[in-house]
Amino acid sequence: MGGVEDDEPPTKRVKVFSGDSRVHSCNISAIDQGGSSLSDSMARLLTSQEDDDIVGTKGVIKKTELIRIIAEALYSLGYSKSGARLEEESGIPLHSGLVDLFMKQILDGHWDESLATLHEMDLMDDKIIKLASFVILEQKFFELLDGKKIMDALKTLRADIAPLCVNNDRVRELSYSILNLSLEMSDDRVSGQEMRLKSRKELLEELQKLLPPTVIIPENRLVHLVEQALDLQRDACRYHNSSVGEMSLLTDHQCGKDHIPCQTHQSSVFYVVCIGAGHSEMMLDCCLVLHEHGDEVWFVQFSRNGKYLASSSGNCIVIIWEVMADEQVCVRHRLTGHQRPVSYITWSPDDRQILTCGTEEVVRRWDVVSGECLRIYEKSGLGLVSCGWAADGQSVFSGVSDKSICMWDTEGKEMECWKGQKTIRIADMGVTKDGKELITVCKETSILLFEWERNSEKFIEEDQIITSFTVSDDRKFLLVSLLNEELHLWNIDGVPKVISKYKGHKRSRFVVRSCFGGLDEAFIGSGSEDSQVYIWHRVSGELILTLGGHSGAVNCVSWNPTNPHMLASGSDDRTIRIWGLNRMDSSAAAAAAVSACSSSSSTAASNDHTNGVANGCNGKTL
Amino acid sequence: MDTDPREYEKIVVNENDIHKIVQSYLIHHCFRDTLESFLACIGVKPSVENSEDMDRRKRIFHFALDGNASKAIELTNEYAPGLLEENKDLHFDILSLQFVEFVCTRKIEEALAFAQSKFTPFGKDQKYVAKLEDFMALLAYEEPEKSPMFHLLSSDHRHQVAENLNRAILAHTKQPGYSAMERLIQQTTVVKQCLSQECFKDGNEPFSLKDFLK
Repeated sequence: MGGVEDDEPPTKRVKVFSGDSRVHSCNISAIDQGGSSLSDSMARLLTSQEDDDIVGTKGVIKKTELIRIIAEALYSLGYSKSGARLEEESGIPLHSGLVDLFMKQILDGHWDESLATLHEMDLMDDKIIKLASFVILEQKFFELLDGKKIMDALKTLRADIAPLCVNNDRVRELSYSILNLSLEMSDDRVSGQEMRLKSRKELLEELQKLLPPTVIIPENRLVHLVEQALDLQRDACRYHNSSVGEMSLLTDHQCGKDHIPCQTHQSSVFYVVCIGAGHSEMMLDCCLVLHEHGDEVWFVQFSRNGKYLASSSGNCIVIIWEVMADEQVCVRHRLTGHQRPVSYITWSPDDRQILTCGTEEVVRRWDVVSGECLRIYEKSGLGLVSCGWAADGQSVFSGVSDKSICMWDTEGKEMECWKGQKTIRIADMGVTKDGKELITVCKETSILLFEWERNSEKFIEEDQIITSFTVSDDRKFLLVSLLNEELHLWNIDGVPKVISKYKGHKRSRFVVRSCFGGLDEAFIGSGSEDSQVYIWHRVSGELILTLGGHSGAVNCVSWNPTNPHMLASGSDDRTIRIWGLNRMDSSAAAAAAVSACSSSSSTAASNDHTNGVANGCNGKTL
Repeated sequence: MDTDPREYEKIVVNENDIHKIVQSYLIHHCFRDTLESFLACIGVKPSVENSEDMDRRKRIFHFALDGNASKAIELTNEYAPGLLEENKDLHFDILSLQFVEFVCTRKIEEALAFAQSKFTPFGKDQKYVAKLEDFMALLAYEEPEKSPMFHLLSSDHRHQVAENLNRAILAHTKQPGYSAMERLIQQTTVVKQCLSQECFKDGNEPFSLKDFLK
């Protein structure tokens, strides 16, 4: 909002308090007159003039402004006695006498007097005076019409309103509204702004917005400033991943790392307790490690509703897991049939089916509930490299090894085929927000946005070779993974442009996938060839967490879209890890550990003393 | 493609045709006296209906041109009853002439009263609303000539409305709405333009009658 200087030409100062002789910042202490190198704020701190009283340590809050907005807040809250008392005690009136008079005149409907007061206000800006006059006279006009004083209203229009030469269209409408009186029956014909009579209070509110804030303090200014501060705190919070927990005015908002999934949880079968001294979040090291694949896990993807997880492995198996209410993850179906390892899985828009694409093989469509393979899509002599659903779930797209893109209906009939350099052997395929464009990698360094209905193409050019990409849930962003171990975040809503870059993870030989995730997709996650999962804060680009635990390259990560506290990673170590929050502190954890174990004999359960003992409930040591 | 002027010599023009063209022009524009002289010169008897019709139309036309819409309307209703009811656009245009007359003579109260009584029925129809807004806006200015709607006060506008009225009356009384002369000129222009487009003449100048007649 700024100070007095903002709206006025620099040579003059607005006299905010008409009765006052004080003028801001013209009084400079003797110290300053010699020191032109001193900055303004320094000057203010040194002066002891009342006008430039500063509150706070940063030298940016003027006392008079602060008092005035506090007074306005008190009045808004209904504490007019307190407001008046504050004005009295501080000697700083909320509004100058002239403004008070003006407001009273408006509320009383003394239009001509209020216009005179308006001109007295010394607002400097002619345009504002005219606009405000227009609004006031408009009210006068409508009140006259309302009182059936038509000729008087017309006179006001002719003599006062039209000569202002502001808003001629509105003048037309006002003129017409005189006639409109006779056409009372039909309201729907009223074009443009409302023709109804505003209340005087509404008029005052409108004037408050028109006049500069130094003259009339905007309503609820203090509340607005506080809300702004809270917004900034939330944006700056690197680990903000929960909508639970209100922001308080009493302390600065700062989420701890404990809101990001960083622990793999206990499964009821394997219960490993490893308790160490110290109080970091990494206190517990539990595992929800899923071993069912038995071979390198290439791909993991949660369904849109977060209830299922689909994964594929090097032994050509696809597993559909179900996420249970207690955050346990259980096998639902093992899908066999592919002859080549599945490099890509995509969930249908209604989450009831998945498409799996074998590496340059066929695309299979499966029913999630029954685990049945509903259809096989193939092209003789060629292999399919990627697959995607149309936005309405009624057709299937696929990239083909001959660089074309094909479209099938649900029956398996090929509907279209677009040839040309449409796609190379990268398994990712995306769809834009409006469902009209397909996203594929068409050249080593280019991504194609293909509007298939109109057969038109747009390209996103990268400066490095692209290895994979993923699209955000709201389809406005594209995260591209590049050969040089960088992730680029593109905004594709409108003209595509790069917004952020993320670095830190390792990728040299394989395709390593990344994802969006967390509350409002505020985080970026990625696998890495150094066996860790990397998590960045999306807006700031800062790497906030690395999760260790896997013993092989992490190929793919997927964040649960409906549970911001659950992350899945698939690795060459043949496991999928489900990461969650560290919810328990040491003592509670130990107690829980003891109670969950079926046999107590081999459990080391005491807290704080033992160090790094790994034991399983059923006797297994890891 | 300019025709060789000698080609024209080959076409024979009938005197009677020319007489008819002149007559139709004079009748259309109600030049009664001129018509009677002309007919006397070529030895044709003037028709009585024609003369009466021209007289009436002439009066109506001039009332309209002067902005005396009420007189024009009265006479129109007398001579061609039902015409204005059928032709709402025209009716509106003429009423607006009267309104404008009030505004120009600064008779604001009458203008307002007139608007309230005559314009309100039109307000129910969506397509007249914009026009109504235009005219009503004239009331808002103390100097309507300087307002954004000044074009509504111009004599061109009045002339246009009077012409439209004339044509409507002619149509109503089963006479041609356009004089033969007008039609012929229009025809020539269109044909010439078509031809020059077809020949892809460089620098397609629009047909100029003035140049042609030189």
